[in-house]
Amino acid sequence: MPNRVSTIAKQTFKTALNNRATLALTLLLGLSLGLATYVGWQNFKTQNNQRLHYKELVRAQWLAKPDKHPHRMAHYGYLAFREKHELSFFDFGIESFAGVSIFLEAHKQNTVNFSEAGFSNGMLRFGEISVAMVLQLLVPLLIFFLGYNSISAERESGTLKILLCQNVSWKQLLWGKTLGIIGVCLSIFIPLMLLTILLWASLSHWQISGDASLRLMILVFSYAIYFFIVSAVTVLVSAFARSSKSALTTLLACWIFFMVIMPRITQAVGVKIYPSPSKIAFADAIATDIHKQGDSHNPDDPHYAAIKDSLLKTYGVTDVKKLPFNYGGYIMAEGEKITSKIYSNHQKELNKIFEKQNSITKVAGFINPYLSLKHISMAITASDFNTFVDFQNQTEVYRYQLAQKMNKLQIDKISNIAPGEEEKPLAISKANWAEQPDFNYHFGKLSLVITNELLALSALACWLLATVMLLQYTTRWIKTI
Amino acid sequence: MKKSIYNLEFKLFFRNSSSWIGIIVLLITGVAGLYFGKTFIANQQAVIEKAAMLQKKNTLSNIDHFGKDIGLLFYHNKFSLANAPNAWAAFANGQRDINPYLISVTMLGLEGQIYDTDINNPVSLLLGNMDLSFVFIFLFPLVIIAFSYNLLSEQKESGVWSLLSAQTNRSFRVIWQKFLVRVAVIFSVALLLLFVAILYLHLPVDFIFFSITTLIIFYLAFWFAVSFFIISLAKSSNFNASALVAIWVLICIVIPASLNLFLTRKYPMPEALQNVINQREGYHEKWDMAKEVTMKPFFEHYPELKQYPFPQEKTFSWFWYYAMQQMGDDQAMPSRHAIENKLAARQRFTNTLAFFFPTIQTQLGINNMAGSDLNTHLDFQQAVRKYHEQIRWHFYPGIFLNKAVDSTDVKDYKLEKYSPQQTPSVWVNLLSISILTVILIGTTAFNFKRQEQF
Repeated sequence: MPNRVSTIAKQTFKTALNNRATLALTLLLGLSLGLATYVGWQNFKTQNNQRLHYKELVRAQWLAKPDKHPHRMAHYGYLAFREKHELSFFDFGIESFAGVSIFLEAHKQNTVNFSEAGFSNGMLRFGEISVAMVLQLLVPLLIFFLGYNSISAERESGTLKILLCQNVSWKQLLWGKTLGIIGVCLSIFIPLMLLTILLWASLSHWQISGDASLRLMILVFSYAIYFFIVSAVTVLVSAFARSSKSALTTLLACWIFFMVIMPRITQAVGVKIYPSPSKIAFADAIATDIHKQGDSHNPDDPHYAAIKDSLLKTYGVTDVKKLPFNYGGYIMAEGEKITSKIYSNHQKELNKIFEKQNSITKVAGFINPYLSLKHISMAITASDFNTFVDFQNQTEVYRYQLAQKMNKLQIDKISNIAPGEEEKPLAISKANWAEQPDFNYHFGKLSLVITNELLALSALACWLLATVMLLQYTTRWIKTI
Repeated sequence: MKKSIYNLEFKLFFRNSSSWIGIIVLLITGVAGLYFGKTFIANQQAVIEKAAMLQKKNTLSNIDHFGKDIGLLFYHNKFSLANAPNAWAAFANGQRDINPYLISVTMLGLEGQIYDTDINNPVSLLLGNMDLSFVFIFLFPLVIIAFSYNLLSEQKESGVWSLLSAQTNRSFRVIWQKFLVRVAVIFSVALLLLFVAILYLHLPVDFIFFSITTLIIFYLAFWFAVSFFIISLAKSSNFNASALVAIWVLICIVIPASLNLFLTRKYPMPEALQNVINQREGYHEKWDMAKEVTMKPFFEHYPELKQYPFPQEKTFSWFWYYAMQQMGDDQAMPSRHAIENKLAARQRFTNTLAFFFPTIQTQLGINNMAGSDLNTHLDFQQAVRKYHEQIRWHFYPGIFLNKAVDSTDVKDYKLEKYSPQQTPSVWVNLLSISILTVILIGTTAFNFKRQEQF
């Protein structure tokens, strides 16, 4: 019995490749995939090298700063650059729409600036050709062209009756056709994945980590499942359709609806249902909260007045200038603590809103396997929303540590008595700067990525289950003639 | 006689349920595009109004906190310029979601502030906006394809064609009539949507309206020409459908996306990162240098400011501070120009390519007309630079003379709105699309002629 399935599969595979148009299309797709892989890999190297170059420059400049007041260093701050994950050459995800560099300074949280999209004159809106894009959008189209007449043509030419008379069951026929079509896809997909693995290994300097290999494996499986789903749907549509023509038009209409129209609409609906605050409203809400808790810029602020009183009492002095440590630094440390906590809370809220906006598209994965695969692929290649948020969070942690480190240096090492208007400013040795480590972004663990993407993964699993069931149990409703 | 034939063709067309589906899909997505496009722009307008309110509130609270020290006040106080959307921006949102439409800056170094982005959801940016221009550029061509791919092949496949050819030697006329019916229907739907857009988005019926309408009509005509060309090859329905969808995928997705990848590779933008570093170093390094290093170039930049006494002996003065900030901008000048040149090179490259690809051409043309493209944003940035310079000129003397805050008119500063200076034109876009359309129609006519001979 499985023998027959494989015979049908082989036959489908051969006929598909014997067709000159199909062969040309397949080769063309394979070629564009190879090109996309290569250019994506090159772009990755150029962009990542740029970022690494500036990262080193920023570090060198930080260490080279002369003796000065630590608060000057807190304002000099640090520049952090968003590094790319090695696998992101496979799927660009939100890469081009997310900023690249962020300035980290005391008292102030800045935005991540200079996304590729900001430099684009609108061309970017058509998409970016990456391996993932070809696999997600174009391979299904190829599958549709390969398989729209897989059953209907047999019916139209009369061979279907003959096949069924020769004791071939519907189930075998559907499975055989599906596997044959997948075979054609795999003949492109497998060499491509080998190329991807090779390029990826060279990007990671031939040091392959367990985490990354697992990522790659999940990626390969997800795409394979996606191709299976699409192939099975194609064969089923071909089996149920009245004619080859209606099968083709149905499939093409589905392609357009699910891959072109739906993602935009689901996201627009998400944005409409869960509106996010504008930048000014966001900043204003933070300012209001800071004002409530204690504003170090306000000379009459009760919170800071209370701190001052308690410090004076504890140390038994009458003036802050007589305290045994730098009072200004102490107040700034307190201010930084309050403001950054408020800021982080607001940022968390904001990210929650963004997640809710995206959730509509994520849930739509249950009706549109393309969307669920897209989410999985972006997450695995660390070019997704969560990775970007994680980068923002890590920079904020770094920024806070830097500011507080400089405040600590000021509290401990700067005299509490301010110099006169014409005297030399107070300073500490430049040896202190090296104590502040460089900023290094750490990608999240795969287990975390998977927990985040459980919804998309289960949507894809549901689709797999549904198509297998359909191939197995719907045969009784298919008409032979 | 002729009129009744067209009547008949229209009846035939509307009897087919797939015709109605096509029209309804266009109308529904069109209305959705109008709705989401308008919502998006209405949101930006609301934000600008709120910003105008906050501008006043924040200035007053800054005066309250820092009013005793004029230098400190201007260290904190922000001035805002908004790139207010015009009515057409709701029609084509373009890059307005990516580029900030409201820039608030203090008097300090501008290069460190002007590139600050809005806070937005990168996933929404990736998936793109739903507006009416999307429906026109991406979905109309698909419906055109769906309506016309089987015009000739269906007749042949159903056997009607051989009957028809036997009866008349002008059988291609029938195809032409069927084709014209579809052209009429599609253009009616397009004009209907444009008419609804006028009412719903309050679009002014002006030069821009006629430019965009013409551009869209030309673009749709191009797609009809493509379909007609494929029909003229006289292949099967399935071949036509596959070929036309493949062409759509190529022109609307694969080619622009590949060109974009090529563009980013050919014109990378390290200058932007270099600019940040130049600005930061240009300012911060001055703290550790003699005041001369800052003041000499500063007075060369602003000879008029020499008249104000510079407190040389003081360790810190606002005069020195603002001059140091200025040095950040001045030292970032070369890299800033490098960015501008790179962007101009990118624009030239795209314009050349767009000549061969009507989809890119139409998209760029509409965004340009709607003021939602990159160039409008760059002009807006220039306006911010000008505004910033004005503010510096206006308040520097007060700060340098350490005057009381009340003596300045900072309270009167409101949010300013930027309005684009020149009206763009679409002649080049129209020209390129019409040339391609004419070439296609010519080839099609040639194909039909040849077939008629057999």
